[in-house]
Amino acid sequence: MNQVFPSTTASPFGRKLRRARGAKVPVTVLTGFLGAGKTTLLKRFLESPEGAGTAVVINEFGEAGIDDALVRSSADETVLLGNGCLCCVSRSDLQETLRALLIERERGELPDFKRIVIETSGLADPSPILQTFSTNRALGDAFYLELVLTVADAATGVKTLEWSSEARKQAILADRIIISKGDIANSEALRTQLRALNANAEIIEAANGAIDPRSFTEPGDSERNVFVAEAEHSDGLSSFVLAPDKPMAWKVWLRAMDTLMALRGPDLVRVKGFLSVEGCSGPVVVQFVQHLAHPPVELQAWPDGNEQSRVVFITRGVTEHQVRDLFKAIAALAPGK
Amino acid sequence: MSTNNPLNKQPEPVSWNFNLLSQNDLGGFGGMGEGIAIQLAKDGRRIAWLAHESAPKNFTGVDVTDPRNPKVIVQTELPNMFMRSNSLDVSGDIMAVAYQTQKKGMQPAGLELFDISVPENPRSISFFDCSGEHSRGVHQLWFCDGEYVHMAAGAPDFKPSHPSDDQFYRCIDVRNPSKPVEAGRWWMPGTSVHDNIAPPPRHPLDKGYRAHNTNVYPQRPDRLYLCYIDGGMFVMDIADKANPKVISHWTNSPPYTGFMHTAVPLFDRNLMLVTDESTEDNAADWPKLIWMLDARDEQHLVPIATCPLPPVDAYKDRGGRFGAHNIHENVPVPSSFQSDQIVFGTFFNGGLRAYDISNAYQPKEIAAFVPPAPAGSKVGSVQLNDVYVDENQIVYTVDRFSGGLYILECEF
Repeated sequence: MNQVFPSTTASPFGRKLRRARGAKVPVTVLTGFLGAGKTTLLKRFLESPEGAGTAVVINEFGEAGIDDALVRSSADETVLLGNGCLCCVSRSDLQETLRALLIERERGELPDFKRIVIETSGLADPSPILQTFSTNRALGDAFYLELVLTVADAATGVKTLEWSSEARKQAILADRIIISKGDIANSEALRTQLRALNANAEIIEAANGAIDPRSFTEPGDSERNVFVAEAEHSDGLSSFVLAPDKPMAWKVWLRAMDTLMALRGPDLVRVKGFLSVEGCSGPVVVQFVQHLAHPPVELQAWPDGNEQSRVVFITRGVTEHQVRDLFKAIAALAPGK
Repeated sequence: MSTNNPLNKQPEPVSWNFNLLSQNDLGGFGGMGEGIAIQLAKDGRRIAWLAHESAPKNFTGVDVTDPRNPKVIVQTELPNMFMRSNSLDVSGDIMAVAYQTQKKGMQPAGLELFDISVPENPRSISFFDCSGEHSRGVHQLWFCDGEYVHMAAGAPDFKPSHPSDDQFYRCIDVRNPSKPVEAGRWWMPGTSVHDNIAPPPRHPLDKGYRAHNTNVYPQRPDRLYLCYIDGGMFVMDIADKANPKVISHWTNSPPYTGFMHTAVPLFDRNLMLVTDESTEDNAADWPKLIWMLDARDEQHLVPIATCPLPPVDAYKDRGGRFGAHNIHENVPVPSSFQSDQIVFGTFFNGGLRAYDISNAYQPKEIAAFVPPAPAGSKVGSVQLNDVYVDENQIVYTVDRFSGGLYILECEF
């Protein structure tokens, strides 16, 4: 359609956006170790002015024993919480639950919620939820995964990270990590371990169970740290930042990522960042979860004035060298080079 | 249906991707028409000029330099209660105001120009009389270039073939603002008693074959985009202002119910937006829409999409009107937002909506603002009537009955 009705102000990827989520409903995925105090932090957030208009979805994945501090009803119903917030339990299909929320909001049956917080069970691997938001075919046309927020407690966090691969995954995939219970236990060892697992996430400490409510809403800055060396984590996971110093031809990016997805899709745990693309003045936000590619969008401006491309790769057994070499080879073969 | 839902017996206010910065009921005279303009005053202030929907107030000037703290700096009175100044525009330090009377033959009916170089003290420069035995004066005007006022107006020497068809297109040369003179006029054939063709057939709601918006843009100074209420819309050649010529005509009515309101060309994209106005309470004239036209060939306009309305069942019983009305018109002045990617529109009790039109075939709603019924609303709901977006993408929207001015920022 852009060929029929071209615009000098639009991007090849559609309207240039002020921020990556555009007009979509922002989603915060709240993960955390068992007993880390997710629900307490969430309750405080919901009571704050910033928390007004939040729809909480408790994602049970068919598990029992979820903390029922928020939802006392056992039925699959939506409960109003005050402050314009609401809460529902998704026991079967997260997509279905979220679509229903949107439809009911449009009909004026639900308060005009502004964001979704999905609270996962303590032992959940967040990857399947990330996939849910990755393409327009599923929920990506209406919702935008803005933030993976992981709560780790200082008292038992180090031990939990040792025995639970899910906890490690939660830490590795986080955009922001909250250390709870720092007031009753020394958090230094945990902080060191978390930093080793995730060099890019912001790590903040909750003081007496309180945090800045914006920690729940502000997008994660997981791409801010360009100069992080490749890190090898447990479970065969590693992370690195691809930071080409020149704008890249979009077709080169696309070919390379197509190849990576075709050959190693399941091993691309998460790829996310800002890419400088030839012909685009703003950064192009790129996101992949395994074999799923989020539609790219161009922002009106670089968020912090730093026009350096920075794309974080979290992979399983795909090395920084291999990825860099692949991009180099495709760029060299691309016509016009 | 909201009434069936135990969670929510009252309709919830909506603020999705718009952030309300402030509201001002304009001293209790918050019933606003369809004229909003932003003056960039020489002393650095930003003044929003607002037309009132009905007497007793004429226009209000609001200092919106700080959009979180708008201050009324001047509010003027109409000479009588049987008229309204529904429309205004600002070019530089000159403001043009439209006066329409309740009945034909009443006065004053016409166009007044004001010097607003001192915003607190608007001074009348001149008055261009449009009153007459068959005229209600001026309903709407367009004044952006400092030279010509394009307007929907009656005239003392015009006798319509039907009493409702009194306002037609008039172009007024105001290059000498103290002495406005008519440069040209055009009416839809058949609407003057002197035409030698039959008058057009009446529509069921019969809102008249009258001019409404008369938009002219510097990209095509030889084109007028003229909406004619029950007569549809016309693309006009005004290269010779004294002799406007029809290039093309497009209408959706019948089967729709008339009242075509505004046409905004998106020049770079060869598109055109055309709006209807909802005029009946409780959505009796639903659907009133914003239409997207393929304008690659200006002689053959093709409707390709509409901006999706919010669900009628959720709004029709809230009171007052529901449906399209004014949109932001990419007014060609420095204080106006320009976009061919986003459409801002007001929908009465459906509030303010923004659409992403980057895919012209599939406009997508990206923001909505439906505040609670303002105090003093006579229909029990908000009735957002007009919208203007400034060059910083700050949005100004007004309520038709009592809410006055709402200022919002965009979050998309």
